[in-house]
Amino acid sequence: MSEVHLLFHQPIADHSFSADRSLLAVSRDTKVELYKRSGSGFTLQDELAGHDKTVTSVDIAPNTGKIVTCSQDRNALVWEPSPTGWKPTLVLLRINRAATHVRWSPDETKFAVGSGARVIAVCYFEGENDWWVSKHIKKPLRSTVFSLAWHPNSVLLAAGSADAHARVFSSFIKGVDQRPDPTVWGERIPFNTVCGEYINSSGGWVHSVAFSPSGNALAFAAHDSSVTVVYPSAPEQPPHAVLSVTTQMLPFVTLCWTREDQLVAAGHDCHPVVFQGSMEGWRLAYSVDDPRKSAGSGASQESSALNMFRQMDLKGKSSVDDTNLKTIHQNSITILRPYEGGPGNITKFSSSGVDGRIVVFPVKG
Amino acid sequence: MATTNYRLIDVDALDPESAFPAELLTPPCDPIPTPQIQSLATHCRQLLQRGDQETALVTALENVPYGGDEQGKELHLGTVLEILSSIKAVEMSPLLGRLYASPSGTELLDVLTKYLYKGMARHNNSTSSSSTPGVSSHATGVSSVSGAREYGVAPGRGDGGGMSVLLSWHEKVVEIAGTGAIVRVMTDRRTV
Repeated sequence: MSEVHLLFHQPIADHSFSADRSLLAVSRDTKVELYKRSGSGFTLQDELAGHDKTVTSVDIAPNTGKIVTCSQDRNALVWEPSPTGWKPTLVLLRINRAATHVRWSPDETKFAVGSGARVIAVCYFEGENDWWVSKHIKKPLRSTVFSLAWHPNSVLLAAGSADAHARVFSSFIKGVDQRPDPTVWGERIPFNTVCGEYINSSGGWVHSVAFSPSGNALAFAAHDSSVTVVYPSAPEQPPHAVLSVTTQMLPFVTLCWTREDQLVAAGHDCHPVVFQGSMEGWRLAYSVDDPRKSAGSGASQESSALNMFRQMDLKGKSSVDDTNLKTIHQNSITILRPYEGGPGNITKFSSSGVDGRIVVFPVKG
Repeated sequence: MATTNYRLIDVDALDPESAFPAELLTPPCDPIPTPQIQSLATHCRQLLQRGDQETALVTALENVPYGGDEQGKELHLGTVLEILSSIKAVEMSPLLGRLYASPSGTELLDVLTKYLYKGMARHNNSTSSSSTPGVSSHATGVSSVSGAREYGVAPGRGDGGGMSVLLSWHEKVVEIAGTGAIVRVMTDRRTV
């Protein structure tokens, strides 16, 4: 069953759970609120106020527990827990437009920040000066970077951008990264090498990108209501397959792989949708929280006589309440994150929406 | 110096690095010469005369001149509108169902939706080319200058299909292809 938490009546741009799922960080306008799990709900524990403009992205590192936030004020902050509360450290991003997305690398030594400055800033900690410095990935980005995803080897970085391309870059930093094993994306790859550049047939903005659990496939969701999965064969070679699934729904803005052959996507239709497939082909399998199955999710669907007369008395009409959407989320879903399950087999995922809700959905199959 | 309003200066326009040709965003399309579009138009007209509207529509929708020039695209639009207005109302839904079920059916319906919107835009070039029936059918005297509203005019060369025909097609297409088709019309950089 799905767990629904209505936190407040403001949009949630991004959310992140700690490794044991007891701490939830949620962006709320210019602040980040930290909630602690208490019983079956969440209570507000702390507030991280360091940004001047809307916070666009939050990420909690599973092992070290550090929180990185980025905002439209062109800054990113790294928050560390201390006995006296959370202490922020400024990160020198050197961007001149808003930061849109931030994610820790799997090994947590670096994080990447996408921005409207047509630049991705890959940041690592410099011990001598005790601050975080950044290296920029500029070419060949031509427009705002909407979303970033790390490959399991912590060196390859995928980026979805408003110039309609999904690209895979190498963010290898000497001194911070170990030389990675060769993958289908390439080997011996210096910083800012483009390992792959993909566009789908209509050329719409790429809202979200994600690597499969093994890292051998890349999925991206574009504004033409489609999800495309790319299977590369070898560096400098054309890929094995680029498979697009166009849907009848509104565009997806976020996606999350649950297994090597399954991914879940969500967006402006307010409910997640599961896609299944392999190198031979992908298809839309089913919807989680399907609005067509009016099994009374959330909003009361009592068709009792009492309710009917109450509606007639209050609102002068006897029809069922149609001011709420039939899905749990009442507005677009912004981010999906894995919640439960190992990296190759996610059983539950969490979603945050523009309606201020955090919902944990089971993948169900 | 005091009169320069710095906040209104478009910095991106002055920055040489941010200039890039819009073609980079569009997926590559081969150029199509206008005579080829003309021969396609005659071929479709022949199919229509024989009464085979379905094949005519499929042929017209499959061979979209994305790479053609303005004239070629206008020509093809005329062909498509002619075919659409020659199909009877009762035949629309079954025909669309068959089209959608065929492989690359979603692509065909997306292209059809693009032509419907382009057709509506030409009829309504004074107000916005919105498809909601409520908006477009009231001439509120906003601007009566640009061309007469042609409702249910008999189909002619390049002017086939009045607004009502296009609207009924639009209703049927969205029933089958969903809002995804409309989103793709708005997002797709390959314009008809």
